Amino acid sequence: MLDVSNLSVSVAGKTLLRDVSFSVGTGEMLCIVGESGAGKSTLLKGLMGMMPCRFDSFQHWPKGRSHRQGDAAVQGLPACRWVMQDPLAALNPKRSLGQSICESLYEQHLPAADQRKAALEALEAVDLSADFYDRLPKEVSLGQAQRACLARALIAEPALIIFDEPLSALDALVQKKIALRMDQLRREKTITYIVVTHDLGFAAAYADHVLLLQNGRMNTLQRRDDFFANPASPYANQLVNAAQTLGALDQMEAAR
Amino acid sequence: MILTGTKMRPPVKPSATLWALTVVVLVVIAAFLSTPYDPTKADFLNRLAPPSPQHWFGTDHLGRDIATRVLYGSVWSLGLSLCVVSIGAVIGTIVGLIAAQRGRWADMLLMRVTDSFFAFPELIAAVTIAGLFGPSTMNLVLALIVVSWMKFARLVRSLAVAVVQQDFVLQARLNGLPAHLVLWRHILPNVLPGVFVLWTNSWSRTILAISGLSFLGFGVQPPNAEWGAMLLDGKAYLHTAPHIMIFPGLAVLIAVLIINLTGDRLRDRLADEF
Amino acid sequence: MNAFLTRLGGLLAVLFGTSFITFAVTYFAPGDKALSIAQARYPGEMGFDSAVLDGIRAEFHLDRPFLSQYLHWLADFVTGDFGRSYSSQSKVWDIFTGNLAETFTLAFTALAMGLTAAFLLAGLSVWKQGSLLDRFAILLASVGAAIPSFWLSILLIMLFAAHLGWLPAYGTGRASHLVLPAVTLAFWVMSSQTRLLRSFLLEAYAQPFVETLRLRGVSEREIFFSHVLRHAMPPALTMIGLDLAGLIEGAVVVEIIFARSGLGSLLAGSVLARDLPVVVFLVMFFALTYVLINTLIDLLQIVMDPRQRAAARAEA
Repeated sequence: MLDVSNLSVSVAGKTLLRDVSFSVGTGEMLCIVGESGAGKSTLLKGLMGMMPCRFDSFQHWPKGRSHRQGDAAVQGLPACRWVMQDPLAALNPKRSLGQSICESLYEQHLPAADQRKAALEALEAVDLSADFYDRLPKEVSLGQAQRACLARALIAEPALIIFDEPLSALDALVQKKIALRMDQLRREKTITYIVVTHDLGFAAAYADHVLLLQNGRMNTLQRRDDFFANPASPYANQLVNAAQTLGALDQMEAAR
Repeated sequence: MILTGTKMRPPVKPSATLWALTVVVLVVIAAFLSTPYDPTKADFLNRLAPPSPQHWFGTDHLGRDIATRVLYGSVWSLGLSLCVVSIGAVIGTIVGLIAAQRGRWADMLLMRVTDSFFAFPELIAAVTIAGLFGPSTMNLVLALIVVSWMKFARLVRSLAVAVVQQDFVLQARLNGLPAHLVLWRHILPNVLPGVFVLWTNSWSRTILAISGLSFLGFGVQPPNAEWGAMLLDGKAYLHTAPHIMIFPGLAVLIAVLIINLTGDRLRDRLADEF
Repeated sequence: MNAFLTRLGGLLAVLFGTSFITFAVTYFAPGDKALSIAQARYPGEMGFDSAVLDGIRAEFHLDRPFLSQYLHWLADFVTGDFGRSYSSQSKVWDIFTGNLAETFTLAFTALAMGLTAAFLLAGLSVWKQGSLLDRFAILLASVGAAIPSFWLSILLIMLFAAHLGWLPAYGTGRASHLVLPAVTLAFWVMSSQTRLLRSFLLEAYAQPFVETLRLRGVSEREIFFSHVLRHAMPPALTMIGLDLAGLIEGAVVVEIIFARSGLGSLLAGSVLARDLPVVVFLVMFFALTYVLINTLIDLLQIVMDPRQRAAARAEA
């Protein structure tokens, strides 16, 4: 559903990201992996129109919109939501979780009762009970806050959700649970995910495609099984081996 | 498996300070209603009388009951300072918000202007303005507003800049929220607690400034029952009737202490929230 | 280097703005300036010929538009020509220097006394935390912050001058004249600095490095004097600098109350007499002092606090 060719992001004359291409089908998950500083978050910002970028082609279904080469900024992907790394920074400490979730519906201008109903449904979808609606962010755990952020993304029934290291702030047990739920929701509702993560275990368990970035450039783009069985580049090989040594890929077996 | 929350919101208990404050306010109101004296009516038979059962604080050089005047003076001192600080807070908040949101040039320009005003010590500026334009209540208030808004501007700007960089503001913008709603729902609620703390601090400082300037003759003029003005009245009778000088000053001290203590409690309470 | 230039530019802009505001206030002050000048020049005269007034206006540029007057004044000011007082016709600079020493003595004495007291109180209070001494120090500081300084001076006058007769109440001249004003001001300095110092010292004590030092067997005394104190210095200095405005204000008020000669009384007197050249100069002096001292403190901070040094270097 998203087809990007040779995307580059430059700011103030410095090129942060060069010639990245990928495509991901409807309902699939693309994991963008790489070391810190490889440009993963920059790519997200470029896709969301927050940083100026250039590309050869940018094809986006089902809206069928395509942008001409050289458009300085993508006008934000429609029906797209973004889940960020730190849930406590992403939620207004002065507003309840329910209010934050409903904000996602702002552009639809629904009556309050409908908004509340949708929010409660979204909360249920992320395994939070109805009394979380009125809680403030400081009254819930990190994991619960991140689930609320996920609910905020889901409530808008987006075609695409972008995740920027959604699990790295959480502890291991919570990570597993939320990762599982994320994947289930994706399959249930047929949402496309683009997930930036440095956790190869997560990619191994849930991704359809893996895009590896290194130093602002695209290193490899492979389907998940290919990536972990036959890494296409020496660098990818190093990473996969390292992850295997650390036991991070055991999840792959567990999740299948 | 549905999760239920474990951390409940603690019930809000009115604290001891709040009770004490309520008591004080009630006592003051009761005093207002029960005093038999007119704060402005002179009684020449009873001039400079020391404290007695009829006149708890004694009388001043015109025979007016000091206790009543001190009471009415609270409206002057507290009310005026409240006006000054509130108007200053509003102006400063607006400037700070504009500086934080309208880009680098607006920010630099507004902050330089703010800094320019900052250079003038409060009292000196007030003395100058009130003195040059004629000492009066109005000029005093204007002068004090002119030198107090900057604190709020600086505070609001730094708070707002920090808030605007938070992810939740970005989320709101991505969700299509218009600028005024972003301001109202996200920026202001996170900026206002800090403003409130500064507001209470400034209030007590302004009371000291107003009474001090009135005492020096640059503010509220006698025969108004403002505490500083009352002290100015009594200055001539320092040796003969010292009681005149004691009570208005004591009133200032107590008022400022109460406001400071309450402000401290408030700050501690709010700090818990962050 | 770049960072330095930016700061310098900012400073100049602020000074510009300050001078503009000062001039604007005096420009819009009511009263015919030409008349004031004429009255001072020809004391005792009642009415003045319009020709005389026009002549004065031309001489002092009073007939020019606002901006032109401002620029003239600024040019004079920057080159050191501060004009002559309307009332006394003496050069403003001379009047200023005549009174400067008094104010400086007062401020310096009060600062020294107040800071010493503050350090003692804060230090003792932290040393014996939670004790009666601690509580007393905090109470004293709270009351001191709330007490109106003009009232305190009156009380002191009533006690020491009127009642006991130990010290003179008003005037300038002998050292005994300095005592009550300085004590009043010092009291204010002490109360505002004690609480701050105390909280800085407490914060320094809570730092992890203190525990490390203890484990290494360093004595409590050395921890306090060589480490905690040094850690608390930068924020303490900043606060002192920020409170400088308050010190100046306090000195002004105290001088007026005790009828001491000095810049404060000079300001009050010249304001009421609408002696604008003196007023303008004094206000500018206070403002410039404040700005310069704050800038110095900022720079000192950067030198003293290694973290800020790194930040400044990164900026450059």
